[in-house]
Amino acid sequence: MVLSTRVILGVIAVIIVVVAVAVVLYYGMQPKPIETVVIRFSGWGAGETEVKNYEKVISEFQKQYPNIVIKYEPIPMMFHENILAAFPAGTAPDVFYVDSSWAAIFVSKGVLKALDDVEPNIAAVKNKYFDFLLQPFYGPDGKLYGLPKDWSILFLAYNKECLSRAGLNAPPTDWSSFIGGLEAITDAAGKPALVDHYHWRTFVAMALAYGAPYPDFSTPDGVRSWFNREAVKTALKNYMDLYLNGYVKRLDAGKTPYVVLPRDVDSGWGGEAFGKQAACFTLEGSWMIPFIRDQFPNFKYGQHWDIAPLPGGPGGKYTLAFTVILGINSKTKHPEEAYRFASYVTGKEGQEFLVVQLGHTLPSIRELATSPNLWPEHRKTLDQLTLYSNVYVWPTMKSEKAGAVISTIDSVIQSYIASMKETKTYDLSSLINDLVNSIISASF
Amino acid sequence: MPHLNKKRFFSSKKYRREFLEGMFLISIAVLVNFVFGYFAFAYAFYLSFFRWDYITEPLFSGLDNYLKAIDELVKGFFGAKWYEVPFFMGLRNILLYTIIVVPIQTILAMALAAIASSRIRGSSVFTTSYLLPGFTCSVIIALIFIYFFSQRGFINYILNSIYPDFGYPDWLYSKILIIPAMAIVAIWGTSSNFAILFIAAMQAIPRDVLEQARLDGAGPVRRFIHIILPLIKPTIIYAVIVGTVGALQMFDLSFVMAGPQGGVEYSGMTVVLDIYRTAFAQLDPGYASAKAIVFFALMYIPTVLFLKKYGGGFR
Repeated sequence: MVLSTRVILGVIAVIIVVVAVAVVLYYGMQPKPIETVVIRFSGWGAGETEVKNYEKVISEFQKQYPNIVIKYEPIPMMFHENILAAFPAGTAPDVFYVDSSWAAIFVSKGVLKALDDVEPNIAAVKNKYFDFLLQPFYGPDGKLYGLPKDWSILFLAYNKECLSRAGLNAPPTDWSSFIGGLEAITDAAGKPALVDHYHWRTFVAMALAYGAPYPDFSTPDGVRSWFNREAVKTALKNYMDLYLNGYVKRLDAGKTPYVVLPRDVDSGWGGEAFGKQAACFTLEGSWMIPFIRDQFPNFKYGQHWDIAPLPGGPGGKYTLAFTVILGINSKTKHPEEAYRFASYVTGKEGQEFLVVQLGHTLPSIRELATSPNLWPEHRKTLDQLTLYSNVYVWPTMKSEKAGAVISTIDSVIQSYIASMKETKTYDLSSLINDLVNSIISASF
Repeated sequence: MPHLNKKRFFSSKKYRREFLEGMFLISIAVLVNFVFGYFAFAYAFYLSFFRWDYITEPLFSGLDNYLKAIDELVKGFFGAKWYEVPFFMGLRNILLYTIIVVPIQTILAMALAAIASSRIRGSSVFTTSYLLPGFTCSVIIALIFIYFFSQRGFINYILNSIYPDFGYPDWLYSKILIIPAMAIVAIWGTSSNFAILFIAAMQAIPRDVLEQARLDGAGPVRRFIHIILPLIKPTIIYAVIVGTVGALQMFDLSFVMAGPQGGVEYSGMTVVLDIYRTAFAQLDPGYASAKAIVFFALMYIPTVLFLKKYGGGFR
């Protein structure tokens, strides 16, 4: 039988239609492929352990959100320089660390995405965190620009043996009696009572306790007016006199100084000097706790040393907090996904693993302050929070150039300390004058 | 005719091939130099006319940044406070540092090369041990020296052993001693690099010339002064220029030894450290670029004058 051309064409047409329908049905029934979004994330990667822990958290996050791929790009050196250079190049990551001292300029220049714009229930999110930690990250529009990933607090660490030799159970609780008691403690313990860096950190905590207002260095007049306050002058005088009388004059008299800089006792920083038991007190932050555990395992918390809140004064009792947020790049193409990741890392789950278990810093979520996994040293610093009138986040000043301002303040104070060793004196009014002029010169 | 031959050579196939091969071989180096050298320089020059904070749009500011930089230098010269004139402080310190480092490192490198090139027994062991610092990262060297320069450190210990009344100065926190401290570290670390240059130059001197001088009765000192020195003059000029430019651009030692703040009253500040601080701490890359261009001009002019006067053999 010979098939006609029309029949052959008809059969071909039917086959084509059947195949086409089958293909359409087959692919139509297949689950749609997941559209993945890549989020680039950068932090400064403080060591191998932190990097590995982040990788673990990222892998847990990706199990929960398989459509979000996190590309972790730690920047081990010169983090802020790299981030700043990445903005004009258009290569800044979607999520990145923002230290509190950079927050003011990053928020004011529109670098960060407001969380209020991506989180419909922002009030509930804010409520989970220590309120004072969020303060530097609010913009002038009242919106929040990041969630703190962890934090550290400034505290007074003391050597228990020194105190018991001086007949004390705990350090004095106000600056005047604390400073006044250092000489007796040194004489009893036979070693310098206090090791301090002589810098803005200690000075501002003292000034606030003496009754100074929160420093507003956003205008030249603000700088002048802050340093013109009696409370600031008194704090500065007591701070500098402490070194003049406690180090320079004591050495001249052939006695053990009752205040030293870390380098005076061959140490790089206060924590090292304290761990070496070269001094009885130091004003350091939470970062000292894992350092002492690691480097001085025989110098045990609770048995040999303990933690007290910073001394107070007529203006109240204040300490400083140091924190970093996970900021979201305002130009990210995926703000929802970037926020999802940032809120996971800074959330309860992320912090339980990255912060509480690691033990390097404090959790910024209030609920985790009672975590059974929290180290006892850290728990004590959190228990003491209620003793403070307020906790101010570093840089503890209103200025868009806080980094440069702190650097110049520290330089001026250090210069006076160095000169004091040679001249055996200092002039308070010229110190104030130099501080004011140098801050204005660095900021405006 | 030579002229015709030359013309024929340049239009030949062989020349074209050699030219292309040559261009290919140097292309990567030229590209890297253009991107990280000339482009970066041109971009810095462009930026120096703007006020910028990396984030918002740059604002054209004309010559403001240059006037500010020159004003800093003038004010510094007339005794302004150290914190008002970091650029001047950096320039003053780096000139002092260069004046200390370059002559000593050049003379030391020549002496080392002379010992290494001699046939003194053990000179090879000496050469190897001395060249070692040249292969070590300067930041590592600086970190080690920080401990040496501490009040109870090795340097004070040695000096007090020699001269008991020397005392225990805090080198890195002394306005007077910090630059000499950096210079000591630099000399220790870099003179070995220059010694390699001088060894190569000395070994290139024909042996028969030296032999002839010896037969004529010239001692080692006269041979060194009258034969070796004139013959290695181009290398000396090269070492002085490269050493000067390297010393003027010093950053790592001051960053590590004086700290990013530039030390007590900016006594350890250098121009490059100040440029870095202006760009990244004060967020003013425009002003930092203007300082870099002014500094370049200050460095370039004396270098050209020096080359013009002494660089005949070098070129």
